Amino acid sequence: MEITVKKIGETEKEYIEIGCHRKDERIDEIVRFIRSREGILKGTKEDRQYSIALPDILYIEAVDEKTFIYLEKDCYESGRRLYEFEEALASRNFARISKSVVVNLMKITSIKPSLNGRFSCVLTNGEQVIISRKYVPDIREKLKGGAV
Amino acid sequence: MREHLRTQLASFFISVTLINLAMLILGCLLEPDLEFGYSAFAYPLIYGVIGSLPGLVMYSKKELTMKQTIIREIIQMLLIVVLIIAFMFGRFKNIEYDMVPQIIAVAVSVMVIYVLVHVFGWLIDLKTANKMTEDLKKYQARASGE
Repeated sequence: MEITVKKIGETEKEYIEIGCHRKDERIDEIVRFIRSREGILKGTKEDRQYSIALPDILYIEAVDEKTFIYLEKDCYESGRRLYEFEEALASRNFARISKSVVVNLMKITSIKPSLNGRFSCVLTNGEQVIISRKYVPDIREKLKGGAV
Repeated sequence: MREHLRTQLASFFISVTLINLAMLILGCLLEPDLEFGYSAFAYPLIYGVIGSLPGLVMYSKKELTMKQTIIREIIQMLLIVVLIIAFMFGRFKNIEYDMVPQIIAVAVSVMVIYVLVHVFGWLIDLKTANKMTEDLKKYQARASGE
């Protein structure tokens, strides 16, 4: 397999492109490795443990005593508490938006006003999650140039 | 709680402005010849406070669902209607038949003002949301370029 590394301009977005005859297990493994370089979380689903790449996560929600990690189509459970995710992911494009949700800011397409002085953010899969008014100043600060 | 108080304060000032307007319109329609003293300036403020009280009492620490929020808003609006009518007409021992149109006009005005306060609040939030979306796009562009 030939490997090419090309330098691009500072303003251009970095990318990795794989040219292959078919997308098989070998390619999936390379993709998983690249994704793991961007950070992973552990989650369980039907008693099996999975590694979840941070860029794939839409949001993390605490329901009663449990914490769930939501992706476009899947949902995994985690033993960690929401505040632990909030602290660990604060520098990774994630932000607390309500008492029960930490969202991936890279997965929000737009923000809309909701009832009762709250806001809701529309995610890339069309789902909407509520932003509590209490967290709005912190989110605005982060979006304006806080820790990226 | 602090954010809730801030929202209530903003609603109070919007309410006072709209109550002034409602008093002007209703006064011209129902009692065009009535004259007032300086105390008339206090009434929009008093009505504004009465209108804000249920909002303070009905504060919830819980994250309410959309359905719960709508039900709460309707109860709050009806509570304000009752409080304002009780304040305005409570001193009369018997409600005369000719007072009914006035009571209905006040109730309708309170409901219109309640809805308008929310519409204005929503418009302010819409501006904030648009600015946040704009900042979000810039944030995402910056983060992707890392």
